[in-house]
Amino acid sequence: MPRVLLLFARTSYRAEAFLVAARRLGVDVTVGSNHRQVLADLAPGSTLSVGLGGVDRSTATIVRFASEYRLAAIVAAEDDFTPLAAAASEALGLTHHPRDAVRYARDKALMRKRLSGAAVSSPWFHVASLHDDPGAVASRTGFPCVLKPLSLSASRGVIRADTPEEFVNAWHRIRGILEAKDTAGRGGGSATKLLIEAYLPGREVAVEGIVVAGELLILAILDKPEPMEGPFFEETILVTPSRFPDRIQDDIVSFVRQCAAHLGLSDGPIHAELRVDADQISLLEIAPRSIGGRCSAILRFDPEAALEELILRHALGMPVRGFVQETGAAGVMMLPIPRSGVLRQVRGLEAALEVPGIEGLEITIPLGQTLVPLPEGNRYLGFLFAKAETPGQVETALRVAHARIEVDIEPP
Amino acid sequence: MSNTTKAPVEFTELAKETVLGFLERTDDTGLALRIHVASPSPLDPRYDITLIEHDEKCEEDVVFDDPGFEVVMDPESAKILDGARVDWVETLMESGFKVENPNLAPIGSKPMEGPLADRVQEVIDQYVNPGVAQHGGHVTLVEVRDDIVYLHMGGGCQGCGMASVTLSQGIERILKEQVPEIAGIEDVTNHSAGDSPYFTAEK
Repeated sequence: MPRVLLLFARTSYRAEAFLVAARRLGVDVTVGSNHRQVLADLAPGSTLSVGLGGVDRSTATIVRFASEYRLAAIVAAEDDFTPLAAAASEALGLTHHPRDAVRYARDKALMRKRLSGAAVSSPWFHVASLHDDPGAVASRTGFPCVLKPLSLSASRGVIRADTPEEFVNAWHRIRGILEAKDTAGRGGGSATKLLIEAYLPGREVAVEGIVVAGELLILAILDKPEPMEGPFFEETILVTPSRFPDRIQDDIVSFVRQCAAHLGLSDGPIHAELRVDADQISLLEIAPRSIGGRCSAILRFDPEAALEELILRHALGMPVRGFVQETGAAGVMMLPIPRSGVLRQVRGLEAALEVPGIEGLEITIPLGQTLVPLPEGNRYLGFLFAKAETPGQVETALRVAHARIEVDIEPP
Repeated sequence: MSNTTKAPVEFTELAKETVLGFLERTDDTGLALRIHVASPSPLDPRYDITLIEHDEKCEEDVVFDDPGFEVVMDPESAKILDGARVDWVETLMESGFKVENPNLAPIGSKPMEGPLADRVQEVIDQYVNPGVAQHGGHVTLVEVRDDIVYLHMGGGCQGCGMASVTLSQGIERILKEQVPEIAGIEDVTNHSAGDSPYFTAEK
């Protein structure tokens, strides 16, 4: 039975979906994580502790492990583990995006540089250090712009500024986030760097795909129907299939193919986020991993397979062509955290589940825990899932159900 | 449509009276009661009991009228419901039909006994709980049914982002090694209700 090394952060939303997929495929699993599994001694080979800090050291750990337990594939569930998955795959000759491609895709500034160097339509951008004087940086910046910390992901710390005053305020707010206990030192050399780039107007879409030997297979295009105009960029609703006209969808696909190719992403999952403003398509990011959170639950394929199965199939050298997205529409709402405080009660869950089209609801933060909204926060309150015949029905179901959920938050 | 002589499902007097009361309050004389097993999972068995029009019956339905009204079941539901008893319950909080089905007793409703359960319990006590206790967790055996072990994860394990890893990479492996007759492990925990998970998920 082939063995796959699945790399998850200890705070992963994705563990269960990948474990279920591996079981369905009948492959043996080793879970690699940045914490030691409490039952590791009871089941040798089933888990492996690997740090996120030193990629070379962790690669050596994986290579040593593979000499005893032969690995057929290494798959990272989250962004943070993709450099290690790429390095260890390269060392063991396994299928994966190359190390450099992963580096370009994960570093927002490097990505912009590579793509603009390849004449791919890109917004203006420059990189600043938090040690710089924010007023001086603001004076040489165009507006509106967006400030993005290079070491964070998932919209955390991303703030729009329309004026120099807003720019300086955003700068100080991001400094606070980067000095917080859970983020301090994260990102190595990028820990104090900010990407400052043009604010891109338009509607946002996400593209999910797998690159197979250099050829990108598009698995789904997901619309984000909420206007994401800032100052913060909280993701809420994702609906698939896309309601953009076929012509625009074709352009989106071809643009993502172009970006993936220029970055050298050649073997593995990709998750791209784009802005579409009339005919102008711009890339926000393209990550060498699949969609985050529990959002992959809305992606189902014929013949019966989940997204995680397709990712594992590809990594293991099994065919992935021929799988098509299930008919009908599906969507997810990442339940936003409305304000700071202690979560005391969530009411209306049953009423939300009774809304036609709603398929599931998960609250992922336990009662009693402290809630922190964007831009400082890094968690969702939970996930609401819907299925219907059309994307419009899915969006309506999610909004109606969300309106039925009441969240009691005790002020801090 | 197959009409059976022996009623596969028994109705209590109160359940019969309730259904007849519903029927009397309608003008339609051709109504029947359909019972459908909506979820055959022993983790969450669910039944749909609804009044249907005559033309909603299907050729393959199993039909009987012993209770004094016509009862209709699809063949699969009839198989699962064979020997079940339908009651009507009313409490301050809710009212509705209650199905007692010996073929689909909810997990945890049967007394735990037998050598297999004892051996599983021993493994949990000896190996699993001392390990998960390091993270403030504990694992409770809920039932062993048909070679499947049903477990509840509490404390630091309940709602933990790594609970599925602990289950599949630790508990399942040691249980299958020590008790090879075990075919699978099911987690019956409501992880959303965990109030002190060791790791909580983040973006």
